[in-house]
Amino acid sequence: MGQSMNIKPIPVPAHGATIDWHLDQPYRAKHLFLLVIVLAVLLFTGHRTEMDKMVVMTGQALANVVGLADDSQVVRGLSRVGESMWPPAFGTEEEVARLTDLDRDNLPFLASIQTHERVEQKLNTDTLQLEEQREQVELLVKPLGYLWMVFIKMLETIEIAIWGTLLSVVLSIPLAWYAARNYTANKFTYTLARGTISLLRSMPELIVALFLVLAYGFGPIAGVLALGLHAAGFLGKFYAEDIENADKKPQEALEAIGAGKLKTLWYGVMPQVVPQYIAYTLYILDRNVRMATVIGLVGAGGIGQELKGRFDMFQYDHVATILIAIFIVVFLLDQFSARLRAKLI
Amino acid sequence: MIEFKAISKKWPDGTAALTDVTVAIPKGQFCVILGPSGAGKSTLLRAVNGLMQPTNGAVVIDGVTLTAATARTLRQRVAMIHQHFNLTLRMSVAANVLAGLLPVVSTGRAILGWFTPEHRAKACALLERVGLTPKHLQRRAGELSGGQQQRVGVARAFMLDPEVVLADEPVASLDPKISREILGLIHDAAQERNATVLCSLHQVDLAREFGDRIVGMRDGVIVFDGTPEEFTDERVEALYHGAKWEDAPKVEDEVTFEAMPSNLVAA
Repeated sequence: MGQSMNIKPIPVPAHGATIDWHLDQPYRAKHLFLLVIVLAVLLFTGHRTEMDKMVVMTGQALANVVGLADDSQVVRGLSRVGESMWPPAFGTEEEVARLTDLDRDNLPFLASIQTHERVEQKLNTDTLQLEEQREQVELLVKPLGYLWMVFIKMLETIEIAIWGTLLSVVLSIPLAWYAARNYTANKFTYTLARGTISLLRSMPELIVALFLVLAYGFGPIAGVLALGLHAAGFLGKFYAEDIENADKKPQEALEAIGAGKLKTLWYGVMPQVVPQYIAYTLYILDRNVRMATVIGLVGAGGIGQELKGRFDMFQYDHVATILIAIFIVVFLLDQFSARLRAKLI
Repeated sequence: MIEFKAISKKWPDGTAALTDVTVAIPKGQFCVILGPSGAGKSTLLRAVNGLMQPTNGAVVIDGVTLTAATARTLRQRVAMIHQHFNLTLRMSVAANVLAGLLPVVSTGRAILGWFTPEHRAKACALLERVGLTPKHLQRRAGELSGGQQQRVGVARAFMLDPEVVLADEPVASLDPKISREILGLIHDAAQERNATVLCSLHQVDLAREFGDRIVGMRDGVIVFDGTPEEFTDERVEALYHGAKWEDAPKVEDEVTFEAMPSNLVAA
């Protein structure tokens, strides 16, 4: 039988053979036309968004830094803020006279009582002259007091972020099930789930938080809900798309034996998508920590609320401490989630 | 006993996948379906477990006609082995085999992965039967070679002690030696349980070796139905339409050449 292996040689074109194939250039006139239109639109919107001015001001700033220009608005603004931010504030000082329940023999950790001379200009009512008045003030100095306060506020922010993430995961699982075309019950549930997801995604956390603060009052409740609702839309969409795009082969195998929808999802889809889910969820946690600092600005608790207070009082050294704390937390979280991801995937 | 009664299938675009196929496969028979690509082999197999709804005709399994109402219970008695193994690659071998029990396990148990000791023992026994070792149990299915994955696929198929096994080109992506081993496993495991096997193949020699009966299909119709002895070289030639014997697909020769325009071929 097939003893001769019957392997044919791979055909090669005969010498001098001509073929009527054509390979055209990838660009045509319409591409050039499109390019011109795009450039025109960019020029127009660039002017409206003051991109031209931005280039000029940045150029001035660079020239000023290297000593070619005398003055730059940008450098002035930055250096003014920069100077007032340095050094960052770590400690707190409180007037002992205002502290009612201070136990002098049992001061808080690292705290000390220092006496300062306060000089004030006061109007002498008899002479109608301004006179210097010296006063001895006792201050309770905590060298790391503000750092501790930032730490507590930061912890609150992280807690808000974690609970917001938990809430979004819980809300997004049913959303994803009904928003996945191949697992939803019917067209109505699909449209409803997709609509809910779009609605949640279209509402920025900051604005949601603004309204939730009105409903639930200042504090973390508004923060957790705002973060959770928005991220539920995000996660729902991505979870659903992963379910739809998962390898169909194992699902077909389970469908063939009549395993049922939920069990097929659990055994045929979930193991495939779990690494992606973890990646999305870690990204949401990361994002929620950053967003939790921002929504504090509208009173939804955490470090943001503290930041806004200090910023409004021009206490830029305190602002600097907060910014450093935020940077460190985001950096550490980044490292942590990268490691966790590498381990799980 | 599987009876195909005048099965026809037209795809939405109008092409006919199956035309008036009538055939009965008695219990315990190993029936190989041969034929060129696109002959309707897979479509016929899929009619048995309802993955494909025929346009006309009916499938009757042991006297029960397959309908939407009976599909749920019939499917539990019909196992399937797939060309691409269709395992959940990121799940352990053990979980893949236990997944073969999903139709009879409660949703709560399934989600927790809390299978009974009997079920777990059965999974182990089957994995040993198909030639895997205990160290494979917790490995991800995706880490196994193709041949090992199909062994897991075979073990999964026999978890529910099926009365019918559908094997859709089970060895199409495996090498000749492993192909023979896998088909041997399916053959023996089915025989032990007196299960009927419907197996589509591309390799004529394997069909002759393992089949009790060979059904030849082309363009959606059965053109041959008989024993391996009756499936002579001339009939193979007829089945593969004008192809010479040497060109008929065999295990040793899976290299195919696309036709080239004759003016490009050196004289």
